Amino acid sequence: MNEEIKVDKTLDLKGLPCPMPILKTSRGIKEVEIGQVIEVLSTDPGSLADFPSWTRSSGNELLKTDQSGEVTKFYIKRLV
Amino acid sequence: MDQNTRNDLLQLFREKLNSAMTYYLETCTRCGICTEACHVYASMGQVKHISAYRHEIVRRIYKKYFKARGKVWPSVGEAKELNETALEELYESAYSCTGCRRCMVYCPFGIDTQMIMSIAKLLLIGAHSEPEILTLLADTSIEKGKSLDLFKESFMEGVKKLEKDVVKKWKMEAGETAIPMDVVGADLLFVALAGAHSIIPTAAVFNAAGEHWTLSFFEAVNFGAFVGDPTRTQLILDRILNEAKRLKVKEVCICECGTAFRVMKQLAADQPFKVSSITEVHARYIKSGRIKLDPSKLNGPVTYHDPCQIARNGGVFDEPRYILKHLTNDFREMSPEPKYNWCCGGGGGLVALGEDTLDFRMKSARVKADQIKTTGVTTLVTACENCHTQLNNLNDHYQLGVNVKFLTSMVADALMQ
Ligand code: SF4
Ligand code: SF4
Repeated sequence: MNEEIKVDKTLDLKGLPCPMPILKTSRGIKEVEIGQVIEVLSTDPGSLADFPSWTRSSGNELLKTDQSGEVTKFYIKRLV
Repeated sequence: MDQNTRNDLLQLFREKLNSAMTYYLETCTRCGICTEACHVYASMGQVKHISAYRHEIVRRIYKKYFKARGKVWPSVGEAKELNETALEELYESAYSCTGCRRCMVYCPFGIDTQMIMSIAKLLLIGAHSEPEILTLLADTSIEKGKSLDLFKESFMEGVKKLEKDVVKKWKMEAGETAIPMDVVGADLLFVALAGAHSIIPTAAVFNAAGEHWTLSFFEAVNFGAFVGDPTRTQLILDRILNEAKRLKVKEVCICECGTAFRVMKQLAADQPFKVSSITEVHARYIKSGRIKLDPSKLNGPVTYHDPCQIARNGGVFDEPRYILKHLTNDFREMSPEPKYNWCCGGGGGLVALGEDTLDFRMKSARVKADQIKTTGVTTLVTACENCHTQLNNLNDHYQLGVNVKFLTSMVADALMQ
């Protein structure tokens, strides 16, 4: 499904309520190099609003959001 | 610290000096009545956590820069220079105070330590020394307000997926929407926490009561208030105020989030709508017969933890007790007078800082754990997300053996169709 996006690290944040997905992602993204991509798995509907806003305010890039299943997947490229 | 930075910080200090603040800074007689009132001191016994000691750190800077005697002859007024060491002390004081205001109830002059700590927090923000994770969360919330179009569709799609769980709690007629959003002219705008656990039970209760409601696009929690930044606090609040005005609602109802309720109540006084907590709304539904609850759902003794920001600082004491009377016949008070209830130890952003503050949160809330144990209950109910997380952590740490529950979920689970 994501042949075009190479994932360098996956953060499984299923079941965590807001603001945990953002908190853990802002820490987790520091574990990859600038230019690399993390995949975040979340079941919190708030994440659908949080991630586009967090990537903008933190200066990273949201490459893609896949909400086809119960679990939403966010692909984020570290830029800062 | 260079002189320019110090001048900038003192300007921030000056902006905080309204008449109430000046009264608080000038009035403390060091009578010591507040000493045992702070759960942090009562649990850990360290002088630096006494309420009056906390504000003395701010007061000494006030004396040095804003009082004539301090300016001329610093040693007499115990005036203190604003430098890096002072900032470290301010940090320790401000971010170990949950803003519960229990000390204020004891102080004969009603000195508000939480308000004095707001100076400390503002200086720390000015010096970029605040907990940056709280600022990051606040900025994410502000950004959300600017970029609604960016996530509107996908968020609505995400919320749609929750509707089947709402209907499991309260059946609806075909064609009715279980979680309405963006409804112009709705009576009530519900501001949830963005998680499913906050939306599903409340939606079921609104539907059961036949409420004409709509769900906000924004989460209630105000990280700007946690970090102590008035500008960010207002920007986060504005998102909801603008939405409420756009939808022309008559009432804005805040979910189980203490800080969100207090901030909305205090800063949105002159709005064309009423502000309520979800607890007040549920009590109203029961009183007017719009919902009926089945008391047989709950077994064993029950107690209620008053979230400081909803009860002591928000004035909502009676409604949760009224609701619980309809859910149990074995309700036990935790404190003889609810206004003296101990803070859970998780407020002021400490819970949002997660694992980083866990050790301190557990040590500083020992008196809370003892208070819960003394009640001998099996169910501990509260109406605030922060308190709920902290009480769960205390339950594990002190092996209290209670079931920590949200009042809203209990109401939803006891609905009689
Ligand atoms: S009770 Fe009030 S006046 Fe007395 S020491 Fe505490 S803050 Fe100061
Ligand atoms: S507001 Fe609460 S935490 Fe802060 S000093 Fe007073 S009692 Fe302690």
